[in-house]
Amino acid sequence: MFDFILSKYNYWIYVILMMIGFYAMIGKRNLIKKVIGMNIFQTAIILFFVSTAAKRGGTLPIIEHGHGHGAHAIQATAYINPLPHVLMLTAIVVMVSTLGVALAVLIAIYRRHNTLEEDEILRQQQK
Amino acid sequence: MRILALITVIITGIILIYGTVDMPDWGDPNSPASKHVSPGYIEEALEKTATPNIVTAVLADYRSYDTLGETAVIFTAGIACILILRRRRRQRK
Amino acid sequence: MIVAFDFILLLFVIICAIAAISVKDLLSAVYILGAYSFFMCLLWAEMGAVDVAFTEASVSAGIGTVLLIAAVSKTKRRSKD
Repeated sequence: MFDFILSKYNYWIYVILMMIGFYAMIGKRNLIKKVIGMNIFQTAIILFFVSTAAKRGGTLPIIEHGHGHGAHAIQATAYINPLPHVLMLTAIVVMVSTLGVALAVLIAIYRRHNTLEEDEILRQQQK
Repeated sequence: MRILALITVIITGIILIYGTVDMPDWGDPNSPASKHVSPGYIEEALEKTATPNIVTAVLADYRSYDTLGETAVIFTAGIACILILRRRRRQRK
Repeated sequence: MIVAFDFILLLFVIICAIAAISVKDLLSAVYILGAYSFFMCLLWAEMGAVDVAFTEASVSAGIGTVLLIAAVSKTKRRSKD
């Protein structure tokens, strides 16, 4: 039982982080809070993907003595999995561009409605 | 409304935690993610690309078109920011 | 990967996330989000993903925080919830 908790607890913490971000996205009324929640949500998913790459007993995915002769064979179990790192590097950059566009839309909304609270914007649009 | 949001979030969390029971253990060397194609990349990256850092080798050599597309994404985001923030300013005049 | 270090960092990350969405002052929320990003970056460095860690530290904790501060300074600082 203790081994089961020890090998799975970080997945549960990622789910809790994702729940915090999801609650901020659908439960909070301020638009900047929603953007912060979206950031937390995306970071939790990226954290989950990076954690699938971890390997017990493996080092960083940088080959030792790589500029030498290269005579020694490379063991795949000695290095952690590099592929999720590459994909998540792309995802981080996409996350920041999403953040930039979301904040630009938010500034445009503020110039038009002069508020950032969702219920006040809806009330102004129903008039 | 807030209670409804909380209930939705908790139901989603319970479903996801139920899904993690079948996941491989954290740090397991025999997990499916590190058994399928990644040993090939780790063993062949140095002799094919002459780059000791495997992440850089995959990012800039194997998947360089992906990185080019990523640059296109950043460019599109910048253009979108400029267009959104500029049109409002012109309407106000 | 060190289990005790990992657990402490995950605890800090969750505290920062809860504080970032429950603070009423938006500028404080943005600063706490920057701290959250740096804890996340430490967590990734601990898992062995150093490239992801310094990309996060420069891009998300740097540029993201700057963008959010710019947006908050252009709009209102107080929020109702």
